[in-house]
Order: sequence, then structure tokens, then C-alpha cells
Amino acid sequence: MTAETLTATRVRPLDRFPLGPRHLITPAAVCVALLALYAWVSTLELDSIEQRSLNSSVLLAKTVEHLEMALAATALVVVIAIPLGVLASRARNRVAATVILTLGNLGQAVPSIGLLVLCTFIMGVGFRTALVGLVAYAVLPVLRNTMVGVQQVDPALIEAARGMGMTRGQVLRRVELKLAVPTILAGLRTALVLTVGVATLGAFVAAGGYGELIINGLKLNRVPVTVVGGVLTACIAFLLDWLGGLAEDLLKPRGM
Amino acid sequence: MFDRDTEGVRIELRALTKHYPGQPAPAVDNVTMDIPAGELVVFVGPSGCGKTTTMKMINRLVEPTSGEIRIGGQDVLSLDPDELRRHIGYAIQQVGLFPHLTVAQNIGLVPKLLGWPQAKIDDRVEELLALVSLEPSTFRGRYPRQLSGGQQQRIGVARALAADPPVMLMDEPFGATDPITREHLQNEFVRLQRQLHKTIIFVTHDFEEAIKLGDRIAVLREGSHIAQYDTPAAILDAPADDYVAGFIGQDATLKRLALMRVADVPVTDTIPDPALPQVSADTTLREALDLMLAHGTDRCGTPTGVLSYAELCAVVGPRPEEAMTGDR
Repeated sequence: MTAETLTATRVRPLDRFPLGPRHLITPAAVCVALLALYAWVSTLELDSIEQRSLNSSVLLAKTVEHLEMALAATALVVVIAIPLGVLASRARNRVAATVILTLGNLGQAVPSIGLLVLCTFIMGVGFRTALVGLVAYAVLPVLRNTMVGVQQVDPALIEAARGMGMTRGQVLRRVELKLAVPTILAGLRTALVLTVGVATLGAFVAAGGYGELIINGLKLNRVPVTVVGGVLTACIAFLLDWLGGLAEDLLKPRGM
Repeated sequence: MFDRDTEGVRIELRALTKHYPGQPAPAVDNVTMDIPAGELVVFVGPSGCGKTTTMKMINRLVEPTSGEIRIGGQDVLSLDPDELRRHIGYAIQQVGLFPHLTVAQNIGLVPKLLGWPQAKIDDRVEELLALVSLEPSTFRGRYPRQLSGGQQQRIGVARALAADPPVMLMDEPFGATDPITREHLQNEFVRLQRQLHKTIIFVTHDFEEAIKLGDRIAVLREGSHIAQYDTPAAILDAPADDYVAGFIGQDATLKRLALMRVADVPVTDTIPDPALPQVSADTTLREALDLMLAHGTDRCGTPTGVLSYAELCAVVGPRPEEAMTGDR
């Protein structure tokens, strides 16, 4: 085995740009769905109630509110769940891990509507109340994925890292978290999609969003309004999931 | 620290003990040992005998319960463990290359921790890749997953050597490779150590490997008790007890032949005979014997003359007093 024969071995390409045509499928499908929705609504004779909801300024405002809720909640989840997940992954914190995971499970198991109502008693209505409910609901996937992602790092790598003189903090930052990135991002993507769905409940606590369209449509028996709210929610969920997928492919450490 | 000198320094273990809580017997029990500067000492023993634990106490991946460790005269237990480990090379069986870092980044990791300037790190990576016979321009930018097992092991050794530490700890670094690659890596490693003169502690359960690589071998039994600590030739020649003899196996004489080279035997017949099978000066006597057997002859040609079977026997044969008492 000389240097010549070693260089001749085939190398799997890892340096290729990670995006391709398959990444265009979701936005294309969403565009088709939105166009179909627009075409269908244009064929309808809208009465004054429907017109009050289905106009561009209201739809834009609801979109902004909805996205604000979902993104703010996800940002908070990142700040809360990743450190907790790391904490829970440390072998020494067996008790802490159990407590943290139980809380995360609880957040997801408790019905979101009930939680929002409870929060209303304490904080009143509005954006912040909705955020609490959303965060409680979306913490679990990120928490669990961070924990699993860090724990599944090959112990030999950690031993090698320690043996080379990395401090515990360096091992965590440079090895464990780096290698957990794909798993954490997958959890984040799940959380993002969950919050987009659950953010429709924000309408119950006067936080706005597409939920308002859905609820108004139901209350006033205006099917087109409900349908528009529902389809837009789904489209946003798909788009954010798509963005999450892009982020996963782009941020995944090379070489893996 | 102790690496002002990049050639090996002496390691002293004094009454070193590791007792894990909740276990009846200590994993390492009162081990005292001197490892001379620049020598490669192999710890060999069955699984669970405490050889790895003993080794890991030297870079304090395992904290000793009691005892003393000195490297180059310096008390290891008084140093900061992380700083200490940056000055001791460490290679393990699973290699443990970081999959998200390139070969160059893996090798340059310890120098980076030590704060070397990037240009110096790049030069060192280049030098080390050449040292372990991997073409730098080809391998520098690769990721570990793009390497074969043997190549990964080489990078593992290169990484352990990166900051030119005087002391290296190696835990079965060639254990996970196929026999051919393993043999090759061992040969290269012997060549490397002749150049570098590091103080190396090498852990293995493979006695053949121990004989091949070690300047000295420490045969360990349960609790890391030293059954025998001597040069390979001395251990093969006179095993201290049945335990050591059992470790050597049945073919001690063949193993001793493998330790010696044709150049070590003075031949009496100095007239070359081209008709005989030929061996070179650094062929081992074991290979020479194999050649004789294969050709059905009792002589083979060497660069200085003709080596006979009788001369081979004389080299490893029992000394007169041993011959009288029978075996061993």
C-alpha cells in the first residue's frame, strides 16, 4: 500500500452544493394551491361580511400576525429548549433529565386551548399569552432532539477529544453540538410546523392570525372565509417546513 | 511543560492504584514501574486486566485513587489535566477522527488548542501527512468518511503526533484493521519510532504485536500486577512463570527467531553461493527459516555468505545448562 495506490481510491463527493431540483417541488405545489384558491374565490359572489375578511389588506395583516406568532414562538423555543436539552443530555443529571423531559411532555400533552385559557386568567389576552401557549407546545420536539442528538455522539469521539486536551466546554461546543446539528434542526423544523398549526388558536386570545378567519367563518357561517384561513395556514406550514429542510441541508456539517 | 524536548522523557509510576467505588478489588493495584526515556513499552494482558486503566491514568482520563505519576520528573497530578493532555499524544483503537472536520483540521486540532499560528499548523500537517505516507495535497481536504480504515488509523497516529509530544499513549491503535493493513501499519510505526524516539506506552492484547513493536514488554495480570517486565527477547528466553509462558504460546522459539535479523548472525561460510535461495541483511531469521523449509534445503545465501540451519539453531538453541534440565 503505497501513497500512489492510496490516492487512487475513489472518493465520494461531499463538496457538491447540497441543493437541487427536488428543493423546488414544495414552493411549486404551494404556488399551485394558492392560485387555485384565488381562482375559486374569484368565481364566488362575496357578500359584505365575506368582503370584510377576504381583502388584501386584512389577509396581509393576518399573515403577518400569524408568522410573527409562529416565528417568535420558535425563536423562544430555541433559546429555552436547546440549553435544557444539553442539560438533560449530561449523564450526571439523571434527575434533571427526568424533570425536564416530563415538563416538555406535559407542555405537549395538555390541550393547547385549555392552556391558553389558563394563561388568559393570569396574563390577560393578547400576543404574549398566545406565545406562552405556543412555546409550551413546541418545546418538546426541540428538547428531545437536542438531548438525543448530543447523546448519540460516538463516545469514542468524546474520549478522543478529551484525550487530546479539549475542555468539557470545548468538547460540547466543537464536537457534541456540531454533530447534533442535523438532529436539532430536524426538531426545530417539527416545532416550526407545529406552531404554525397551533397559532390558529391565537385567535381565541385575541392575538390575531389566520385563526381569526377560520373562527369568524365558522361563527358567521361563511365557508369561503374558513377555507381561505385553513388553506393559507397549510400553505405557510408547508413553506416553513420547506425552509427548515433547506436549512438542514445547508447547515449540516460537511463530511457527514 | 515537559515538552521543551520533543524526544522522549522518562515516566515513573509509583504505587499507582485505581479503586472504582462499589467494586471489591482495585482495577489497578499498587503498580510501580519505570518507563525509560525514548522507549516503546507495551502493556500486554487479557481484557479487563487494567492495562488501559493504567495507561489512562497517565494522561488523567482516569484519576488515580492513590499513587504518584512523574513525567520527565514532573508530578503529573499537580498539573491541569486539560493542559497536561495537550502535551501527551493519544491514539485509540476506534481512532475517533471528528467526522465534521477535514483531515487537516483533525491533525491540526491540538496545535490549535495550543495556540500555534495557522501557518505553522499548515506546515506541520503537511509534514505529518508525508510522515505517515499519505500524499498531503490529496488527503488534506478529505473528510474521515472518505478514508479507508487503514488511512484513518494513519491519520489517528499523525494527529497524536501533531504537537510533537515527548510522550504518546496508544490504546490498540491498529486493532481495528485487517491483518495485512495491520502488519503494514506496524512496520511503518517501527520505522517512525526509530526516527522520533518518543516515550510510548502501547496497550495491546496481541503478544505478537508486543514483540514486534516493544523495546520492553510489561506482561500484566489481573489488577494490572506486573507478571514480567523485560525486553521481548528476555521474556521469550525466560518467561517468569506459567502465566507469562501461557501468554507467549507454543512457538516461543519461532517468535525469538522473528526478533532477529540475518545481519545479526555471523556466518562462518563467507563464500556466496548464487544457487541457494537468497535473503537480505534485514530479513528476519524466521523468514530465513521459512525459506529454507520451503526450498527443502538447510542453507540460504546472505549478502555476506551462506547461513546454515545449524547456525540458526545455535542462535536460539538452549544453553548447555538449560538443555540438561529439559524444557525451559
